[in-house]
Amino acid sequence: MQEKTIYKSVKKVILLLTSATLSLFLYSCSQQPETSNMLAGKNYSMYILGKDGKEYIVETNSLDSGKILPEQQGAMLDAKAMDRDIIVKDGSYYHLNRKKAELSKYNVQNDSLHTVASIPLKDFSIENYLWVGKDSLLLTGLDIKGFKQAKYVLIETGKMDLLSSGSLAIPQPSGKLTSMSIGFVELRKNHLFVGYTYHQQLSSSNYTTSDTTYIAELGYPQMNLLKIDKDTRSTYPGGINTVQSYSFNDEHNNYYFMSCPGIALGNRPALPSGIFRIKAGDESLDKDYFINISSSLINNHAYGMWYIGNNKAIIRSERKDLFKGLGDHYSTAHFEFYLIDLAAARVIKKLNLPLDKGTRRECIIVKDNMAYIAVNSSTQGNFIWIYNPKTDDLKKGLELAGNTDFIMRIDKLNP
Amino acid sequence: MNINQELIERYHRDECTQEERKAVEDWLFADDSAEELDLPVGEDKAAHKAAIWNEIAPAPAKESITKSHSLSFWKGAVAASIVLGLLGLGFYQFTIKTKNDSPQFVSVDNTSAISVRHLDSKGYNISVGPNTLAKINYATGSVDLSGSMLISPKKDVELKFKGTDKKISLKGGQTYIILNGKTDEDKIIVVSERNLMDLPPVLQKQIINQFSI
Repeated sequence: MQEKTIYKSVKKVILLLTSATLSLFLYSCSQQPETSNMLAGKNYSMYILGKDGKEYIVETNSLDSGKILPEQQGAMLDAKAMDRDIIVKDGSYYHLNRKKAELSKYNVQNDSLHTVASIPLKDFSIENYLWVGKDSLLLTGLDIKGFKQAKYVLIETGKMDLLSSGSLAIPQPSGKLTSMSIGFVELRKNHLFVGYTYHQQLSSSNYTTSDTTYIAELGYPQMNLLKIDKDTRSTYPGGINTVQSYSFNDEHNNYYFMSCPGIALGNRPALPSGIFRIKAGDESLDKDYFINISSSLINNHAYGMWYIGNNKAIIRSERKDLFKGLGDHYSTAHFEFYLIDLAAARVIKKLNLPLDKGTRRECIIVKDNMAYIAVNSSTQGNFIWIYNPKTDDLKKGLELAGNTDFIMRIDKLNP
Repeated sequence: MNINQELIERYHRDECTQEERKAVEDWLFADDSAEELDLPVGEDKAAHKAAIWNEIAPAPAKESITKSHSLSFWKGAVAASIVLGLLGLGFYQFTIKTKNDSPQFVSVDNTSAISVRHLDSKGYNISVGPNTLAKINYATGSVDLSGSMLISPKKDVELKFKGTDKKISLKGGQTYIILNGKTDEDKIIVVSERNLMDLPPVLQKQIINQFSI
């Protein structure tokens, strides 16, 4: 009876709702001081692998200074569900859970990772992603049984709806070739360029790669094959770009990609690592353009390339004199960063950074014309270094301390 | 689970649940001599094999001539693959041998081309990959491996791998991927599972498939 009288009284209901809202507001203010930051969205995200094998995502507003302990300020991840092959955009994270065969969208809230929405993605191993619109994510991949059939899915990422999917008419490996890799995908108006190559398994721990870089040109969105371009100046174009970047467009829409025949990707080390170009408006490789990294002053193979503006890029190259093989390639600090002049097609110089460890890492972002470079040094700690391309000045910024073993990736959470 | 023809047919059509699949594979690779094909004395296995081959040989040819026979072809192919699978059990040592010669020494010879053998032994959880021979001496901490394995030590250990001079430290509770080929050119690779992404994608994919990780 008492309840009825309450509901009859409109005034009382309004009062009740107001006080409930107010108390909720007060509760959130008192309990979670970070909530206002969370709602505003932080600027950067880092993926940390700890010394004890634990993994964290740390979001922060500044990379310029300070010290962060991931075990205190990070969201600890479920290592079975997450890994660092993620796509980060507009404050959200996208990751394919292999066991569940499900692509999920996550947000970090109150220091933990929450699933926002998911979509089934069966028999699909992601090779490359490309945002073809603000909320349209094009994934290219391979079948998970043999890694022979190229396929794609187009996903609306607001609600994680499937827009389209199918096979790509890229020839499957044949003869002695046993599997393939897609290393880059680029969309120009209604033409999709897919860079790929083929592999040959030699034993349970050994394989090699075809001597040829292939680029398929497909009609978009029909995905019909128009032509296949081949080049033997180097092989293994690009790489899996959910783990590390290998390509970009400059301000004028010239597209650059790197080739990686070194032991960590193609394992065809007799061929040089290099940088290729597809000029703005063109539909095939620029046959007159090739930066031979291995025969430059670098004199090693390289993996990973990031654009820092004004025709300059930074690449990450190995030091073959410092590691023994794949067994210590990731744990030994041997990586160097070099500055490349794309217009002059030459290596400018080595950046004065400590030797870096980790075979593959998404480690450079550019914000306000400054390059932020995450470096895992065995002797000088894990730092974000700040490089100013205009003044050539290089200084230490944020430190990742505590349990940090590797800064595995660094991403911008907003454009 | 009762292994019957219907279940095996569904296994071949890839329609089994995880449990059913595991039951079929356990049955197929079980180290059980009762599964051996016992022919009556005087019967020649080779003659049986040839006869079965003769019976099934025309089937693919029919399929290539006319599509309308495709259903019966598939029935035939499924039946043939079951027969050949059973024959395989008889003809080859298609089973995995696990010898516990002494508590200090474990030798696993996984001759299956697809199945992984899991062992939970003193000090370690081990998964031995397809076509892999692994010999582990707990007393000396030495490992002789040809193929692939996952190993999770229960506490921090140092292992010495045949073919390398230096000892490799493994942390307790973490899982490590170990690869070693069969030829001298193949070098041993030991990588923490958390650094799987640092291995070349070609090897990553192979390991993910083999061990279902």
